[in-house]
Amino acid sequence: MLATLDVVTLSRLQFALTAIFHMLWPVLSTGLAIYLVVLEAIWLRTRNPLYYRQARFWAKLYVLNFGIGVASGLPMEFQFGTNWAPLSEFAGDFFGSVLGFEGAMAFMLEAGFLGIMLFGWQKVPPVIHFLSTVMVAFGANLSVFWILSANSWLQTPSGGTFSQGHFHVQNYFAAINNPFMVRSVIHMALATVETSMLVVAAISAWSLMRRKAPEFFLFSFKLALVILLAVAPLQILAGHESAVQVAEHQPTKLAAIEALWDDQAAGSSPDWTVLASPDETSGSNRWSLSVPGAFSWILETRPQLSQPLRGLNSWPADQRPHMVGLLFYAFRVMVAIGLAAAALMALSLLLWWRGGLSAASFAQWPWFSWAWILSAPAGYLAIESGWVVRCVGRQPWTVYGQLRTADAASVLPVGEVLTSLSVFAVLYTVLLVFALYFGSRIIAKGPNLTLEPPPGLATAVILSDPSAST
Amino acid sequence: MEFLEWFMPTVWFVILALFLLLYVILDGFDLGVGILSLTSPSESQRTILMTSLGNVWDANETWLVLMGGALFGAFPLAYGTILKALYGPIYLMILGLILRAVAFEFRENATNKRPWNLMFGIGSVLAAGSQGICLGTVLSGIPTDAAGHFTGSAWIWVNPSSLVVALTLIQGYVLIGSTYLILKTSGELQRLHVRTARLANATTLGGALLITFTAPFASEALRQRLFDPAFLPFFVVLPLLGVALIVQLFRSLAMQQEAWPFVYTVLLFILSFAGLGVMVFPAVIPPSVTIFQASSSVSSMVFMLTFIGVLIPIMLFYNIYNYIAFRGKVSAE
Repeated sequence: MLATLDVVTLSRLQFALTAIFHMLWPVLSTGLAIYLVVLEAIWLRTRNPLYYRQARFWAKLYVLNFGIGVASGLPMEFQFGTNWAPLSEFAGDFFGSVLGFEGAMAFMLEAGFLGIMLFGWQKVPPVIHFLSTVMVAFGANLSVFWILSANSWLQTPSGGTFSQGHFHVQNYFAAINNPFMVRSVIHMALATVETSMLVVAAISAWSLMRRKAPEFFLFSFKLALVILLAVAPLQILAGHESAVQVAEHQPTKLAAIEALWDDQAAGSSPDWTVLASPDETSGSNRWSLSVPGAFSWILETRPQLSQPLRGLNSWPADQRPHMVGLLFYAFRVMVAIGLAAAALMALSLLLWWRGGLSAASFAQWPWFSWAWILSAPAGYLAIESGWVVRCVGRQPWTVYGQLRTADAASVLPVGEVLTSLSVFAVLYTVLLVFALYFGSRIIAKGPNLTLEPPPGLATAVILSDPSAST
Repeated sequence: MEFLEWFMPTVWFVILALFLLLYVILDGFDLGVGILSLTSPSESQRTILMTSLGNVWDANETWLVLMGGALFGAFPLAYGTILKALYGPIYLMILGLILRAVAFEFRENATNKRPWNLMFGIGSVLAAGSQGICLGTVLSGIPTDAAGHFTGSAWIWVNPSSLVVALTLIQGYVLIGSTYLILKTSGELQRLHVRTARLANATTLGGALLITFTAPFASEALRQRLFDPAFLPFFVVLPLLGVALIVQLFRSLAMQQEAWPFVYTVLLFILSFAGLGVMVFPAVIPPSVTIFQASSSVSSMVFMLTFIGVLIPIMLFYNIYNYIAFRGKVSAE
């Protein structure tokens, strides 16, 4: 085994493992932060202690999640230097600057106000506390912006020239605002909100199913559902737009996620493959299940392709991604989860609208509760699948069309990378188990329903004065 | 343009030094408190120690993330070369910081706190020690080829001088952790950390003397810089000031002052960092690669400076606000 593993593969495996693990945590740090802002705003507006308790309970999960996110983010940053030194040198001018901005603008903002948000209820006036919560949410979402801008630059590098093994920036704003940036940032920001709200809804559904704190969790559920109903349709649109930009800028990735082996002429209407068994050695699908003539409808919402599409077979083997089966199914898993979640939301809205959604519904219909409970892990799976499509589909390039992954990796002793990779594999498995254990303890313990808001509140509030805000 | 090519890398060297200094002072006391938590006589006292860090540790750790990002953007070559050379200790540091962070959060929720206490302390020791090894290795020099790429062995960081720096840094963190706790606690806990501060101050003196006398033997480049007549006054005054601060710190501890020991320790850290900065400048990959060779393009540095430069005072402002909001003694809630 050892002899067959080269250091590039090991560094890729390590990056994949650490990125997949890390990705689990910022989702809540970003999306749940927005939920906390909403809760605190409602609380300041109404001064009903129920909403204060809401904010405090969900913040408990937030902090458990946040610490692991910060810690598991460290290897992401330092790996660019340790394992991807040639990439750092090649793209540091731009890529490094963006990571610097992210630290100064986003991470520090988030971390600097987190302490006040979590422990400062009695230390600062409510308005400052609310501002801190807003800053935490703002900082977290700014990091979505910068990370996605940096990653999008790897997908569609622009804003400068490539010469002598370096990227020379000519226009920073063009590099930041590269072709993939806008749609990718929107797609990811919506994903964090959607999955976070699925987590809130899942925990609420679980508690309601067990008849725990019904008033409390019915409110959490409904608030999450309202946000979900706003976000999920937008996400389907954003997902579609992301696929369109892939078709435009990364034809090899599009061909791989659709297991499209042969060229398709403009004006044709190819079948859309729903399921298939892609076979890379023969360059075709062993079997497939497809919808005749549906491909151009899905991609362009029209009966015929307006542009020709190149199949995988028309690219030299060293210029297109492999692992076609993984890309094909990861994409389908993501899309299926997005659509299924939207259907569940629609169903729940219907029930609510018809007056059938109460705390009792969840105990009465365990299938309904379970559908919601399972939607939370499904949300994470969708995000991870999306990243797999995005980054495995970019191969064999690290900087698309410019720097090959094989040339971007540091030349290191195999044993060194194997050691760090193994330590991460063991450590992250253990951490995940304990994070889930402690998370479920917080959930099982439930909210403190007798917690009183800090005293002296009436004196210092501007935001919560009903006469001032109407 | 000529001017900017000299000026921008210098500015970024100073900004990086500032970020690193802030990290070492701020996360330094976090890690110091983490190490000291291993000696806490009771669980309730340990809880006070942890509470004193609750609102600040992740912002403090973020200075390291910021330093990393800024080094990557301003000196990409140094980022690649140094981190690759320090593969082992960098991952040990990351491991230590991960253990520390998750132990902090898990302990909050655990019924049996012992395993997490141990993990918190060990993570802190590991992070502090590997940071010292990184620092020591960089100071003694990283072998590179003409293009600035690392040419040494994977074990370059295993040597006596990096061990000396590691031990000095660990006890330096214990010192600043102790003086932070003198400031933030009272009663028995405060008295305990006056004792640990006194001990750490004594070892600081020892470590400083050891590094001062062994530095000339660590590398040819350091030797040249230390005995360069232009720098000689600086390298004569610096240790004298250091000794004066250490003496002052002993007196302050004896007088049972609460805030001054921390102030003197911070000054000691600043002084040591000024010394290290002058020792290596203008090298960013000591001994041979300078900031001018390793820097990114001038336009890149100007661009970063306009964004990050504006943010530095803002970041300092809200971080200071955070400390002010939580000023005073920590109580066990």
